[in-house]
Amino acid sequence: MSNLSRRSFLKGAGLATGAAIIGASPIAASAATEEAPELVAHPSALPKDPLVAYVRDAQKSEVTVLHGTDEVTYRDPALTKRLLKAAQHGRRKPGEVA
Amino acid sequence: MSSHREAPEISKDPVADNTDVYAFVSPDRPDTVTIISNYIPLEGPAGGPNFFEFGDDVLYSIYIDNDGDARPDITYQFEFSTQVRNPNTFLYNTGTIASLDDPNWNRRQFYDVTRVDRRKGSTVVGKDIPSPPCNIGPRSTPSYASLATAAVRDVASGETVFAGQRNDGFFVDLGAIFDLGDIRPLQNLHLIPTPPTASVDTLSTLNVHTIAIRVPIRMLTKDGSVPTDPLSSNAVLGIWAGAGRRKVRLTDGPLQSGAGPWAQVSRLGNPLFNEVIVPMGRKDEWNAADPDDDKDFAGYVRQPELAKLLPVLYPGAFPHLAGLSSSRDDLVAILLTGLPSGIVPGFQNFTGPTLADMLRLNVAIRPSASPSPLGILGGDLAGFPNGRRVADDVVSIELKAVAGATYPLVNKSYIPDNAVSAVSEYLTPAADRHQSAFPYLGLPHDGFSTPSP
Repeated sequence: MSNLSRRSFLKGAGLATGAAIIGASPIAASAATEEAPELVAHPSALPKDPLVAYVRDAQKSEVTVLHGTDEVTYRDPALTKRLLKAAQHGRRKPGEVA
Repeated sequence: MSSHREAPEISKDPVADNTDVYAFVSPDRPDTVTIISNYIPLEGPAGGPNFFEFGDDVLYSIYIDNDGDARPDITYQFEFSTQVRNPNTFLYNTGTIASLDDPNWNRRQFYDVTRVDRRKGSTVVGKDIPSPPCNIGPRSTPSYASLATAAVRDVASGETVFAGQRNDGFFVDLGAIFDLGDIRPLQNLHLIPTPPTASVDTLSTLNVHTIAIRVPIRMLTKDGSVPTDPLSSNAVLGIWAGAGRRKVRLTDGPLQSGAGPWAQVSRLGNPLFNEVIVPMGRKDEWNAADPDDDKDFAGYVRQPELAKLLPVLYPGAFPHLAGLSSSRDDLVAILLTGLPSGIVPGFQNFTGPTLADMLRLNVAIRPSASPSPLGILGGDLAGFPNGRRVADDVVSIELKAVAGATYPLVNKSYIPDNAVSAVSEYLTPAADRHQSAFPYLGLPHDGFSTPSP
């Protein structure tokens, strides 16, 4: 979560096109259905087969999920809300390089 | 070389591939420092119709450390945006480009410059500054020099900036050095000998994309002073450059967007560091790392692979180097800490014990009236490894250093092999590769006449 950019996230959401991204393992994705997001100080290494979900259109609650070579977009207001909330925790200083 | 295609991943991403970094006290404005960071290696001047340009999706950064911790105290960031006037033509230009706002120029780039002060925060110091077009030929860009000059801009905060195509001023016999370490014209002495032939200036007809900034010295030093004592620690700046891409990139048909923080994909301080010192398996890691993590790579400086190869590739020519098994603390000083005072009379560029690959520029050393391309090795304290000027022969300097020329700095009993004096690139770049005024690299070759018909 700490690697999210709130600025870019909100900008993308405002334009109603995909620019807010969350990358997670399937385990982390299932955990996201539980309680409030918890910041991870030292994230695990990048997986070889990441699952990526992004808010394609916040107004319409459209979320796109990519895993392997598959992609699906569906409407999920709850997940959209959770992702937007999670993005608020990941705010970085302008111009900061990871 | 010096960092053209130096690592596996960045070699696939030319617009973010930092090829050279230069930093020197401006010879015509000695109250300022000029820093140049080049991108896009091996640009063929005729590369149309989509001529070379900076990446709109790349964050280009120049870093300055002024307190010796190898972390940036001042950062200049450059972000580009491209504007297309007429998407219904395939042409870069539909007539002669006579000015930077000429309606015949169809595809233009602009950039913003942000100064990030570690202690004071960020300030946008330049906005929507135009880049010049690429140099196409006598019909499209007949007055190229005026276009390039018009793209040199002073900003209100005191800096001067330029971003656009230039002549790649770096000179090296690329084809020889990567053919198992051959050095023309000494190939008859090589382990696999061939008849001697003259060295080849591989990049002599190629261009590069340059980001250059000239900054008053007082805007870079820790205490805002303009140091005059070369032995003062305030006089030394650590300088490097990098390029970053967003962590995630999405492609959907013709549309692309990115998200997440900027992740560094290219880094460059001293020439050839990643190219020749860091082994293949760690080059991408090095590009993503920061200078204050370079202790993890210091072993490759203490025992450089190239120093072991030279005696093998040139049998009998380097007996002293072959017997040198001690840590190369001379190279550690040159590349990772700077030279402390007491080694070269009247000079130091020591930034402290933090091992970090940075150019180290002592701004109290005045520009040389008669520069030596061999820099400090040539008795010229204003040249590499005191920063790096555009005409410094850094390949010859570093080859000589690795071959043992500088080891007596830390062990006076060591006598360099006689062959060290013959280790050289044997190149003198053409006069138009460099110029005496900002941005100091020569005008780019035009596509019509390069190579000459």
